[in-house]
Amino acid sequence: MRIWSLVCCLVLVLTVSVAHAADKDTLVVSVPSDIHTLDPGVSSDNYDWRQIYPCYDRLVKYKVENGKGSTEVEPMAAESWTVSPDGLVWTFKIKKGIAFDDGTPLDAEAVRYSLDRTLAIGKGPADNIGAIASMKVVDPQTLEVTLKNPYGPFLQTLATDGASIVNPKTAAKAVGDDKAQAWLAENVDGSGPFKVTEWTRGQRCVLEAKPNYWGGAPTIKKVIIRFMPESADRRMALEKGDVDIAENILIDQLPALEKNPDIVVHRFPAQMTEYVYVNCQNKKLADPRVRQALSYAVDYKGIIDQVLQGNGMQMRGPIPQGMWGHREDVFQYSQDAAKAKELLKAAGAENLELTLIYSERRATWEQIAQVMQANLADIGVKLKLELMSNPTLRDKIDKGDFELCLGAWSPDFADPYMFMNFWFDSKNAGLPGNRSFYKNDKVDELVRKAAGLSDVAERKKLYSEAQDIIMQDAPYIFLYQIQTIVPMRKDVKGYVFNPMLESMYNFETISKN
Amino acid sequence: MPPRTLHPALRELALTVRILSRNPSAVMGGTIIAAMVFLALFAPLLAPYDPVRLSLPDRLLPPGGGHFFGTDELGRDIFTRVLYGARISLSIGLLVISVAGGIGALIGATSGYFGGKIDSVVMRVMDVILSFPSLVLALALAAALGPSLVNAIFATAFVMIPKFARMVRGEALAVREMPFVAASRVAGAGHGFIIRRHILPNCLNSAIVLATLTLGDAILIAASLSFIGLGAQPPTPEWGAMIASGRKFLMDQWWYATFPGLFILATVIGFNIFGDALRDVLDPRIRR
Amino acid sequence: MRILAYTFRRLLAAIPVLLGVSVLAFLISHAIPGDPARLIVGPKASKEAVEAIRKEHGLDRPLPVQYLHFLGGLLTGDLGRSIRNHRPVTEDLADYFPATLELTLASLVLCLSVGIPLGILAAVRRNRFADHAARVVSVVGVSTPVFWLGLMLLLLFYRHLSWLPGSGRLDVTSAPPAGVTGLYVVDAVLAGNWPLLREAVSHLILPAFCLSYVYLAIITRIVRSSMIAVLGQDYITTARANGLSAGRVVFKHAFKNSLIPTVTIVGLSLGELLGGAILTETIFAWPGMGKYVVDSVNALDFPAIMGFTLVASTAYVAINLGVDVLYAFLNPRIRY
Repeated sequence: MRIWSLVCCLVLVLTVSVAHAADKDTLVVSVPSDIHTLDPGVSSDNYDWRQIYPCYDRLVKYKVENGKGSTEVEPMAAESWTVSPDGLVWTFKIKKGIAFDDGTPLDAEAVRYSLDRTLAIGKGPADNIGAIASMKVVDPQTLEVTLKNPYGPFLQTLATDGASIVNPKTAAKAVGDDKAQAWLAENVDGSGPFKVTEWTRGQRCVLEAKPNYWGGAPTIKKVIIRFMPESADRRMALEKGDVDIAENILIDQLPALEKNPDIVVHRFPAQMTEYVYVNCQNKKLADPRVRQALSYAVDYKGIIDQVLQGNGMQMRGPIPQGMWGHREDVFQYSQDAAKAKELLKAAGAENLELTLIYSERRATWEQIAQVMQANLADIGVKLKLELMSNPTLRDKIDKGDFELCLGAWSPDFADPYMFMNFWFDSKNAGLPGNRSFYKNDKVDELVRKAAGLSDVAERKKLYSEAQDIIMQDAPYIFLYQIQTIVPMRKDVKGYVFNPMLESMYNFETISKN
Repeated sequence: MPPRTLHPALRELALTVRILSRNPSAVMGGTIIAAMVFLALFAPLLAPYDPVRLSLPDRLLPPGGGHFFGTDELGRDIFTRVLYGARISLSIGLLVISVAGGIGALIGATSGYFGGKIDSVVMRVMDVILSFPSLVLALALAAALGPSLVNAIFATAFVMIPKFARMVRGEALAVREMPFVAASRVAGAGHGFIIRRHILPNCLNSAIVLATLTLGDAILIAASLSFIGLGAQPPTPEWGAMIASGRKFLMDQWWYATFPGLFILATVIGFNIFGDALRDVLDPRIRR
Repeated sequence: MRILAYTFRRLLAAIPVLLGVSVLAFLISHAIPGDPARLIVGPKASKEAVEAIRKEHGLDRPLPVQYLHFLGGLLTGDLGRSIRNHRPVTEDLADYFPATLELTLASLVLCLSVGIPLGILAAVRRNRFADHAARVVSVVGVSTPVFWLGLMLLLLFYRHLSWLPGSGRLDVTSAPPAGVTGLYVVDAVLAGNWPLLREAVSHLILPAFCLSYVYLAIITRIVRSSMIAVLGQDYITTARANGLSAGRVVFKHAFKNSLIPTVTIVGLSLGELLGGAILTETIFAWPGMGKYVVDSVNALDFPAIMGFTLVASTAYVAINLGVDVLYAFLNPRIRY
């Protein structure tokens, strides 16, 4: 069979493995999925922000203290700022000498144009900077921003991706009244340390460093973001040295990676929380005793020790550890089947049948859903599981068309507002944040009052009071706060993790040796 | 019907079985099918563990010890789940075939019998369905209906209807020209009666062959949907769904995805070679 | 001329089918539960923002109106804009199509180059070892779950033997070749970039084999049975009696005449290969249309789902049409 020997030869020739170690100037990051857009005014997805963020500057940036990311901000494109006594008018002085690639200066007008653009597009990022009522360019280096009401976390919101400063010349690229969305979806035009030079759909996105960046030239000359959907693939590529950083590796594959001497598995305490929305508007779940029973039923320890292999920590109260306002002394549920059964009996809710919906967003969710199914069976509740695509799931959450749902939440800016107001204010019912459709007038009053104040001690007190009520009402099953795990090759130096910047990298200060 | 001879249908059946038993591939296919049916029926007796009970400390154990095929990510015995999976996959196959066969035969017989405008409209619609690659259509349908085993069965059945409709229509076109149909009609028989009494029974042989051959396909498509996440939901031990979960652990826990796949393979092979042999036997052109 | 008239008639008949396809695709994609407007604005946006987007995309209009609008665009080659990324769907498909085409063509080459010789061999050595082997290969082939086969191939050739890469079209650090076709193998040849060609081919082997396996089985089967039918005919016996060598008889006469059913099945396979690519592309992270449609289903991207479905089924209809015409051409006895 000539053909077979030919095939064999071909296979042999092709399979002689070649070492592909990327050179020192190139950083390769393997990530699970393709990106959607490069437009900072449109995207509310950390995976897009990974590429967008290093291409633009913002007024402020997160501080780095002793190699650790802080949730406090410091000046970036802004030189300084002042705020009026009533907390409504902010005046920013813009640094001189920052320019976009075409020479257009980054000035007050550019900042106004960008923020205004994000607000006018009105998608996800607009809500983050939604406190802005109006803006006035006083002179090229001075911008005056007026807020709708005093807003504690305002400065933090200016470090979010949606507050990126875009070259005002992009206005000319607009098609109809799309505010250049079509163009900026595929191109970047910022003053940041990198620019996107290639985006091959479904395969990779390439960023190249700008040697003349005003903040200093990055050491890495080229960043390749490679889309690899399977965790196993990303892991193999990391082990073979084809990639330098591998995102989202399955927990069960970590032990093998940790044994490899060329690889470091970094773990960072993060503020990514995973929890179960308990729909309070559903008749079966309206009684707080039923909700408490559910919170008592779950085997938190089994989930964290076995499914997460110890890479998580049970939540204590709604505010995660590491965020101010977190309380070590707030009530915490633990597994107690007897108590749960008693509560169900008292509520007259025996023979309960519930449905838990979840998506495949996290590889662990299917396991956790099945553990909960077994846990609830132990207290006599029959749990049906429904896996659905993320969009379908979001739609159901928004409409309140569910009973229980597994979810994850990470803060976009460093303020307990991200938890207390988003999760519990009845105004935010549905997908925006209050996904359990929880309504308690006292809690509404407390969290709303806290949001309008800027005094931290005062706000802490109000949030603290709200937390006690919330734990008794049990509108969510607070599962765990998970560590962020980033495995990388040993020769990658200078990576700084920031809990506000999940899945994002400080490419400008990373190096390889 | 004279009582001393066997019912003709039974006689036919006996003859078929005798011919089949002399055909080695029919025997092999039949044996595989019988074995799967046996495993499915007696799964509760044969399986050493509970198929859904979790045991977190026993996660991802390799084959050996008390676990023939190892355990999955929640500590459940894969051998047990594979056995229970036989029940699910066989039921899926049968349900799909009965639904698609039933609806398809009805559509085909009606369309072929009445002919004319009805026929051309109905067949155009079937053409439309056939112009989709079957997996694309099943995937879109299952996504639209929402992920569940029942919906996956419906989606799979839907894409298979045209096959049956076309086959039955062809037979119906031929049968309606037969003298006995004309005779019945003259004797005042209604359309429904003629379709039920003359047309459908004449399609039976071809339908059985087609059903056997399609059963394997049905199991494969339904498993593919479950693999994509649009079919069986946990903790149901469906083979395609098990492979989907096992895929995440493929690199380190090879056993998880491997064994359910082997069972799909064996079952579908069984139906395919049995169906082939059956076609050789039942196809009138070959037989007589 | 008769062929032309026949082709024209068949083309006309395809129009209502394609219209039906567009209606069915439209209905199904709109039946998928979920709110695309919510997807565009992101989870933390307010209700007003969602309403505004719904209006902007015409999602608030009644379904028939939306369909007519879609159809109107279709006639001008506009498939609408993807909801996920605002790009015209035609551009997205143009980006992903070459990958699928490359995979499909590679599979087809594999199918034919292995399937035809195997089928001939099985027919010539009927009931001998080669025939039995071919039979086993084909029965196993049509019975194998593609997604499982893909996983097993990965396990063996990628994980354990490390012979072949496991995902994507090129190695991680390589840039795609500049080129007109979008088929990396062809583009690499045109650019004379041999290392890249090797990369492209080695990435192609596993997915192409996985995708072709089922059709390989079918083609082997068809070639075998049509060869057997032809070999049994009088003129072959005559040719043999006239002292023609066995090889000449088999290839010159028998094979040529068994081509007709093979062409039919190859055409049908090509259409199904496009569909079968969904699972293969998912397993091997092949950035083609199959993967694109699975992602679109997950993102409720109606225009994208519609676009894919239309392209796939149009291709399918066109291929069938082509096969029928070719068939009529090869076999003059057919009545048009």
